[in-house]
Amino acid sequence: MNQQRTETNRLIISVCAVSAFALMLLLIPSCKKKPTVEPITPPVEEETGVSVDLTTVPYTKLSDYRFFQGDLKNQTPAERVIPYEPASGLFTDYAHKKRFIWLPTGTQATYISDSEVLDLPVGAALIKTFYYDDVQPAGNTRIIETRIMIRKSSGWIFANYVWNTEQTEAYLDSNGSYTNVSWMQNGQPKSTAYRIPNQTECHTCHKINDQPIPIGIKPQNLNTDYAYNDGTQNQLQKLIAVGYLQNTLPGNIVSTVNYMDQTKSIDERFRSYVDINCAHCHSEGKHCDYRPMRLAFSETSDPINLGLCVEPEEFINSNLAYIIKPNDKNRSMMYYRLGSTLPSERMPLLGRSIVHDEGLQLLEDWISWKQTCN
Amino acid sequence: MKINFTFFLLLGMPVLSQAQNTCATAVPITAGTYAVSAVDGTDVPTVICATNGTGQTAGEWYTYTPDANYTVTITTDLAASAGADTRFHVYSGVCGAHVCVSGDDDGGSGLTSTASFNVTNGTTYTIAFDNRWTSAGFSFELTESPIVVPPTPPITFTANTFPSISGTYGLAVTDMNGDFLDDIVTVSSSSVQILYQQISGAFITTNIPTTNTMFQPSWSMAIGDIDKNGFNDMLYGSGNGVTFMKANATGTAYTEVSGTEYVFCQRTNFVDINNDGNLDAFSCHDIDPNVYYLNDGSGNLTFHQGGLGDHPEGGNYGSIWTDYDNDGDQDLFIAKCRGGASTAKINELHRNNGDGTFTDVSIASNMADPIQTWSSAWNDYNNDGWMDGVIGASSTDDGPHKVMKNNGNGTFSDVTAGSGWDTNPSLNIEHVSFDFDNDGFTDVLGGGNKIMFGNGDFTFFPMVYAFSNGAIGDLNNDGFLDIRNGNTVYMSDKNDNNWITINLQGIESNSNGIGARVEIYGAWGKQIRDIRSGDGFRYMNTLNAHFGIGTATMIDSIMIKWPSGHIDQVNNPTINEPLTVVEGSHPLSLLEVDGKKIALYPNPTMDYLTIENYDLLDASSIQIYTQMGERVFETQKKDSKISLTGLASGRYFLVIQTKNGEKYSESFIKM
Repeated sequence: MNQQRTETNRLIISVCAVSAFALMLLLIPSCKKKPTVEPITPPVEEETGVSVDLTTVPYTKLSDYRFFQGDLKNQTPAERVIPYEPASGLFTDYAHKKRFIWLPTGTQATYISDSEVLDLPVGAALIKTFYYDDVQPAGNTRIIETRIMIRKSSGWIFANYVWNTEQTEAYLDSNGSYTNVSWMQNGQPKSTAYRIPNQTECHTCHKINDQPIPIGIKPQNLNTDYAYNDGTQNQLQKLIAVGYLQNTLPGNIVSTVNYMDQTKSIDERFRSYVDINCAHCHSEGKHCDYRPMRLAFSETSDPINLGLCVEPEEFINSNLAYIIKPNDKNRSMMYYRLGSTLPSERMPLLGRSIVHDEGLQLLEDWISWKQTCN
Repeated sequence: MKINFTFFLLLGMPVLSQAQNTCATAVPITAGTYAVSAVDGTDVPTVICATNGTGQTAGEWYTYTPDANYTVTITTDLAASAGADTRFHVYSGVCGAHVCVSGDDDGGSGLTSTASFNVTNGTTYTIAFDNRWTSAGFSFELTESPIVVPPTPPITFTANTFPSISGTYGLAVTDMNGDFLDDIVTVSSSSVQILYQQISGAFITTNIPTTNTMFQPSWSMAIGDIDKNGFNDMLYGSGNGVTFMKANATGTAYTEVSGTEYVFCQRTNFVDINNDGNLDAFSCHDIDPNVYYLNDGSGNLTFHQGGLGDHPEGGNYGSIWTDYDNDGDQDLFIAKCRGGASTAKINELHRNNGDGTFTDVSIASNMADPIQTWSSAWNDYNNDGWMDGVIGASSTDDGPHKVMKNNGNGTFSDVTAGSGWDTNPSLNIEHVSFDFDNDGFTDVLGGGNKIMFGNGDFTFFPMVYAFSNGAIGDLNNDGFLDIRNGNTVYMSDKNDNNWITINLQGIESNSNGIGARVEIYGAWGKQIRDIRSGDGFRYMNTLNAHFGIGTATMIDSIMIKWPSGHIDQVNNPTINEPLTVVEGSHPLSLLEVDGKKIALYPNPTMDYLTIENYDLLDASSIQIYTQMGERVFETQKKDSKISLTGLASGRYFLVIQTKNGEKYSESFIKM
């Protein structure tokens, strides 16, 4: 049901944005002629109307950026604001998400490796809106927040915009708050005290060695098709086509998959899931790298990095003898933690307050599939 | 040749046995190796002699009757059982009336089981395997060896289930109603359950409904009386903020006061940070500078941030307030943890300057260690009068456990080598120190369900128990500390060691005497304790000071140095019972006689001290003690002028004892 709704929304966006994208395509040749040197201070006013003035951001209102055209709540991207979607998404209490990227004219991202965040130019903005469909009792869509990351010359900043009840505007609020949401999820009522994060919470996941960074925008996550308004295209090819990404990609990109895609192997699906949900803490240089797991997709081809047959360092109870025990969820710490809502035991620690039933089932399926320690 | 070959073949092969399915039809076995094809017997073992509770639905039964006294080992840790997840129980007694002799779940490599125990010639033992984890088959071996007498643990515990305990956060064993008997406190989102310990040993269970609290003690909990009304208040440390639950005047209801500030709490504490006689609150912040709440004296707490561990990335996990420099105020050690190249992982020590300000002495004191730690255990491990620290590793990525000896001069030395901690592989987020066996040397409960028993010389030996970390207190008022795990209390079985428990009632200082230094003197020299609200990582323990004195039969004196500066001294207290000391009831302070002040001058002084109006006191003796309580001068002379020649410079206490037994004291400084 919800999957269909999301598709419908996407279609609406596509239809609304079709003229904008057509115009943009016409502009591409002139873009290509421009030098790809990063400007120290990007232009305040793009010809598209998007405004990201690095001397004054973050703005107080979401509309000030002019990332969207028409009704703000429709999230119809303005010209040169490109939607994207990682193959697998982070679970945040079943919130739906729309993601967009915008780069200053004449700037480009560069490829570093399949598993590393694209090197985005100064002035780049990543936009991510969190919303729920079928919100009770009216069954409406409710947009909660839009998170923006902007790359200044000094590094990335976080700016969080909380939507008003009228859904006409979102206002800068970096202090964090709660809001109660009840909605129907696959016919089942669900509710949560949704946490809108503050600056520090953002930084907890979005960092490496204390320096703020994006997470999802990696070649491995974007090597999938996306239904743009002008047709379906591979997302990396799209970014190249619009001039946002230097065409230096290798022939083969080791890529994550959509963890809900039943046509993919259980191993690929599970490794994709833990990459996007866990690796932002459980990787070298990250918040919790002192624990033995290494959960990035590039590292989990060796299952020992998933904690398979590895004894946990932290004690919860003596049933949980391994991080993952093959074919035995009841002795697997990861299964316990993904199924827990206790704040000091649950994983992930931030961004989730209810259990992700589908994610937990995926882990159970993987544990059943994995019959040995190898 | 042919016969021999067959003989060896038989010997080397496990004896295949179709194990029997019920206790009544258990198969008698002798030493040897046996294969179990599957755990599918219909008689389910219900007497559990191993860890990990219930869930078994089938059993396999054997009996064993030794022909001599042996130490027997039963193990499934065999090549033929690789990958097996077994559990077994060994009983004496008959079917239906079994008594545990031994048993094991995961003691072997992997998840195999192994246990050794001593058996008596001619006694029949029943061995039952269950399918707690799997019904898959395995092999086991029973071996007989000459009797080995196992080392006697210094203390043992018996599991005692409290069926009435219910709630989400079973974190506390702390007196709540001012009778100094530790209570069992369990917190839920909209209720508090207290099992009040009675002097009779019984418990009265009370469920107190509360508001649906904004924050719950998901990370830690602290307890103390912030409004001095005789009933303890609570601090809930959650991942998003702090809630205070203030007890009413009768302790029958709680009022919620939740901070609006975002705090990713880790260890929380009550402590009188500004030494105004009222408890303040402190919380480690995981991802920001630490926060604290100052008490205005009416129990109103005002949020502050800054000055007590200000790393912008946080990394603060385990805060312990202890007087490491013996200057009478509370210093702060923070066990820190953080992944990556962040400096937020480096532990911090903040010295209380005594004027409301703190100085970061992490580097100067040699405590600025990057070890990934969530908690540290502080006590005087060598009874030299100075608080030492065991910095417990939660991960070895940035170094293993460390034992740090307080040198008494503001610095610490690494004495880990040979301490037993260097060879202790168990990591944990909880490390906390008490004297569990009352031998007079403090111990540490850390990882691996292990107490590291202190020998009083910075060496420790491990002993594994059935419990894990939990709240610690005395739940039967017997002077031996018990450990709570959820609704099970591991009640100490006691031993022959002598003890004293000291309960504090503050008057000018905070009511609980949190931050007081308690010292006992006797044949062993000196032992010290801090009264702490918030020790280890998560739990809230007793606020009473527990001392063991081993085989000693008398305590010369007890000295309580209150946060206010008052000192109470009790001589020759009765041992093996609690002693309650009210602040100022056993004063060591000079006073006025007939309107004339008894005073010391000059103070500070160089060579001589004069006691003004000394002749008004009917004095029998004058003693001078060092800050550490060591007596350095005594005279029976009636001379009011005392020569201080030979005393090192420093702070001292002068004590005047009168002929009718009164004691007066005042501190002075020798330049």
